[in-house]
Amino acid sequence: MTPLSKLGLAGVVLLATGCQFFATKDRDVVQKGYRGTAMEVNYVAATQASAMADLAKKLPPILPPITGDQPPGPSPWKNVQVLTDVSTGEFNRTMISMATWVAGGAGNCAYCHNLADLASDTFPDGKAIYTKAVARRMIQMTRNINTNWVDHVGNTGVTCYTCHMGKPLPNGLWFYTNENQILRHYLDGQGARVVSQTIAPSNANRSSVKQTEWTWALMISQSKSLGVNCTFCHNTRQFSSWEQAPAQRVTAYAGILMLRDLNTNYLAPLAGTYHPSRLGPMGDAPKAQCLTCHNGVYKPLYGLQMAKHYPALWGTRTDWTSPLPPKFTTPVAATAPVDTSAMPIDTAATAAPPATRMP
Amino acid sequence: MAMLSFEKKYRVRGGTLLGGDLFDFWFGPFYVGFFGVTTVFFTALGTLLIIYGAAIGPTWNIWQINIAPPDLKYGLGFAPLAEGGLWQLITICAVGAFGSWALRQAEISRKLGMGMHIPWAFSVAVLAYVTLVVIRPLLLGAWGHGFPYGIFSHLDWVSNVGYQYLHFHYNPAHMIAITFFFTNALALAMHGSLILSVTNPKKGEPVKTSEHENVFFRDFLGYSIGAIGIHRLGLFLALSAAFWSAVCIIISGPLWTKGWPEWWGWWLNLPIWR
Repeated sequence: MTPLSKLGLAGVVLLATGCQFFATKDRDVVQKGYRGTAMEVNYVAATQASAMADLAKKLPPILPPITGDQPPGPSPWKNVQVLTDVSTGEFNRTMISMATWVAGGAGNCAYCHNLADLASDTFPDGKAIYTKAVARRMIQMTRNINTNWVDHVGNTGVTCYTCHMGKPLPNGLWFYTNENQILRHYLDGQGARVVSQTIAPSNANRSSVKQTEWTWALMISQSKSLGVNCTFCHNTRQFSSWEQAPAQRVTAYAGILMLRDLNTNYLAPLAGTYHPSRLGPMGDAPKAQCLTCHNGVYKPLYGLQMAKHYPALWGTRTDWTSPLPPKFTTPVAATAPVDTSAMPIDTAATAAPPATRMP
Repeated sequence: MAMLSFEKKYRVRGGTLLGGDLFDFWFGPFYVGFFGVTTVFFTALGTLLIIYGAAIGPTWNIWQINIAPPDLKYGLGFAPLAEGGLWQLITICAVGAFGSWALRQAEISRKLGMGMHIPWAFSVAVLAYVTLVVIRPLLLGAWGHGFPYGIFSHLDWVSNVGYQYLHFHYNPAHMIAITFFFTNALALAMHGSLILSVTNPKKGEPVKTSEHENVFFRDFLGYSIGAIGIHRLGLFLALSAAFWSAVCIIISGPLWTKGWPEWWGWWLNLPIWR
């Protein structure tokens, strides 16, 4: 054998043994499209399994349901403004759960309440309890999500824990800064679509490399928030095409519309309610993005159906079992029913700096 | 069939790897040999299978004919003919035809008493193909990871595989491969323009020699690699381009499942500026 043939033989042997070495079971590739299109999502199964185990360890137990007939009626509690449609037992169960989900422990009522007078909206010294006002609004927001945004949350729904995960401040909160202008897409920004429809640049056609970078950054933030790659939602042969895209893109688009609703009608208007220390450098309230709920997972809490156990968070929705056919409706964010009459919201403080159009 | 005046000189018997004298003959101007027979067999069968695949497919549009690999669920097993089985057979034919062609090149090289540069060079191109449709699918555990056989469809596959890793230009081996491809094109352009220039002198002037070539590049770049050197360099650049192409796809999936931009975290985390 010539040295060259020996080298070739060695190469073949190396490849054969390499196959044994790399063909490990912990890589998981999920096919998302027709065979041969490479519409695939890659996971490292071992990483997913350990992340799920970690979550299962810290996940608070679902409290036993309230038994016995407790029809909603006049509540013994005073100053109840939102949870007026649940039984007393369910009300208490929800309060205890919220303390665990948001305030770090079932006994931490004081995070939102004046312990001397649980009904009060103020501390003994007369100062407003902003956490209580915010929590009230957040219950309305949760009910809005579970009722009106089924296109996005499906039969999984959301609870306070979906975002808060035991902490007062969820992950991924954002404020106005120069660096994260792309996140205005989830509030009042538009223009992620950068495929040029005409040849020459003009005021009407501002598609550019720079604008494409903005869209790319926005897409990457979604990718990191969900732990998925581009082909989870797009057939990259034509990113803009809905016809060729997987159904997940419809769900994701509903999520963008949902975020605009939540940020516009619930989160941003709370700027005047929060303690100033909670506000951003420009005085704006913390706002949500994909990461806030998803926490790096394509289905928050790996799709755990937590909400169906907590009727107080349902809003008008009651059915958590019927399969939801995928549909594509385009709800108009601004018309989502929101009752702000009961909320101590200072609308003057919510004036936002204008969103700069992506250049 | 008439023979060109110099052809006799190249029709040397012997040097076969398989088959002895049995296939050691010429068909017109073409050497046959055992591997010529296998090449024709695999090529004909593979082409007919592609035509059959097109016939049972939805279109005869040459751009859109698509022979797709099986679904991932079939793993490394056989799939039904119409659901990727054809792709598997055609892949066997393609590997058989390409391998036969390389071995036929080896036989011809032996006949001519020259080195194995040509079969080895061709083998690197074959290796790149085998990497895509055999080695990487083996490592990932399903034939469905191979690329589809179709003019548009294989381009769509390339696009989606790239975006599976968010931004393929951040793949370090892809960077190296692209650099070799571009350098190869540059070297070929410089070499080609030089040869065209020296062989097409002004009217009345003689064709220039290699001394002239060397002087030009020493003036132009300060260095001339020389007549043999440029061909060694060209071979190195071309083979490196194909080799690193194979590397860049073999590490995408079997070794790295996240986005390639993220891989560069080690650079951002260097203690110098961290």
